[in-house]
Amino acid sequence: MSRRDSRALMIMIACAIVLAFGPAVLPPFYVRVGQLMLYSAGLGVAWAILGGFAGYASFGHAAFIGVGAFTAGIVESQLSLVVPMPYLLPAGLAAGALCCALLSAVIAYPILRLRGTFFAIAMLGVSHVCAEVTNNVDFFQGSMGLNFPPIAPPSVDPANFFYEVYLAGALLVLLVAWQIRRSRFGAGLLSIREDEDTARMLGVPTERYKRQAFVISAVLTGMMGVIYAHSLGYITTDSVYRDDTNLSLIVYSLLGGMGTLFGPVIGAALLVFITQVILARLLDFHLFATGLLLVLLVLLAPGGVSSLLKRRRPT
Amino acid sequence: MSLIVQTLSDGLVLGGIYALSAVGFSLIFGVLHVINLSHGILVLVGAYLALIVSTALGVDPMLTIPVVMAVLFAFGYVYQRFLIQRAVDRSPLGSMLLTFGVALMLQNVMIWVFSPDMKSITPSYAFASFHLGLVTFDAVRVSALAASLVLLTLLAVLLKYSALGRVIRATAQQTLAAQLCGVNVRHVYALTFGVSAAFAGAAGIVIGIILPFSPNDEALWTMNAFVVVVLGGVGSPAGALLGGLLLGVVNTLTAQYIGPSFPNVTMFLLLVLLLLVRPNGLLGNAFSASR
Repeated sequence: MSRRDSRALMIMIACAIVLAFGPAVLPPFYVRVGQLMLYSAGLGVAWAILGGFAGYASFGHAAFIGVGAFTAGIVESQLSLVVPMPYLLPAGLAAGALCCALLSAVIAYPILRLRGTFFAIAMLGVSHVCAEVTNNVDFFQGSMGLNFPPIAPPSVDPANFFYEVYLAGALLVLLVAWQIRRSRFGAGLLSIREDEDTARMLGVPTERYKRQAFVISAVLTGMMGVIYAHSLGYITTDSVYRDDTNLSLIVYSLLGGMGTLFGPVIGAALLVFITQVILARLLDFHLFATGLLLVLLVLLAPGGVSSLLKRRRPT
Repeated sequence: MSLIVQTLSDGLVLGGIYALSAVGFSLIFGVLHVINLSHGILVLVGAYLALIVSTALGVDPMLTIPVVMAVLFAFGYVYQRFLIQRAVDRSPLGSMLLTFGVALMLQNVMIWVFSPDMKSITPSYAFASFHLGLVTFDAVRVSALAASLVLLTLLAVLLKYSALGRVIRATAQQTLAAQLCGVNVRHVYALTFGVSAAFAGAAGIVIGIILPFSPNDEALWTMNAFVVVVLGGVGSPAGALLGGLLLGVVNTLTAQYIGPSFPNVTMFLLLVLLLLVRPNGLLGNAFSASR
């Protein structure tokens, strides 16, 4: 383990320990904001395993949030009478992850033939198709909605409980990304981002690496989706397959720094803070403000906020 | 028997309109290599402009086409020159997000100005129809198709024979070489964007006549344009027409025989099938820009 890697690991664990005390000191509103930040950070990092490391920016990762959430919901509603409460969330997570893995492994073959913006938009198509099927096939109950059993122990406030679950989820995703980043596999993904054809020519198994990164990213996204569905307690198609999620996942990386380990975390925290705390009172203005932020971001800081800091620092 | 003929003819009419709405998107992608996610918004701007002008002057909405196209041409030129040009030669993701940001802003402005309700343009012949054999044609749909075909032909002629068209095609083929021959590439980019916006606006009028529209439809028209371009091929009116007709027929066949709630599913399956069978698109150049 190099010094940089071990330092990154130590930062992650130290931050997680500090954040775990959040609910004890924060007022309830900020516990909710914290939940959303951790959820977004987890999603952002999961997206970046494919989008940041390998350069395959997906515009449709909400598909996996939805598939994970609905799979978990259906499985848990079948199990809720048989299995005791504490085991429901793990069962749902396993089912959601399995379903996302299968779906992503199958669609990887046609979808990963596309590159750049074509891949991005094709993923948007995947997310719309999944939403449409969920909404219109009665089995999934997407238009009626799906209830989740309350899994928080009765002695704990649900908001605080889910805060800790989100924290665990985000930490897991970050650990996976960290492990990938320092492995041979991670180096292969970076080489795909830099120049896929050259990497392939030099013997990097680009097709296999891309597929693996896609599946890992999808599974982690699905698991965050399962937690999200539980914290909502009741989901419909529209509450999990959201186009603004599709967009936000790109923006987190773009804001924090594309292809870095902590970039999406910083981006997610920043964006959630801006939209939930600063713009909370301006609902009519939300779309406009998000658009303006996006335009300014692309024009002024195409390398993310961290690149702005770097440029300022004299070298 | 008459049902399938009717469905097919409806699909072709719809396809002509899809083709017109996608041709600008295809042009920008072919020349600038930018995915213009604000394309759907430009289509809607055209529809709203036509609604305002035709009710204010009391003229047929088709007659507002030149006015709307001129306004959108100017808007497109300025939009590209001062905003998109800054992101053009960087990563493709940057320009995509830039146009998406503009789309969100304009959508919000439209909701403020026009309210989020459905609107429609109703010409005087809205309910007229005629029969040809067993098949019924609405006058609105036929005039919409005719307008689409005329405009597409016009664009094809413009690209093929005019000086502007030659410069645009040269820039699309080899930007650097065109620049070396004295082409002012930035100017051509802006002109291309203007032409594209003008045709998006014209498509908006035609769409507004046959379908109701609201500010929330913009993503639908952008997605449609994207699928049409992937199916048909980048940068040519002929490719857009082929892709548009295919999409129109598939959409109406799905709505008729499978169910009206699955348009995206069949569209997407078609796309996947095409990717597996012909990874370069029907006319062979759909993904050249993505390599």
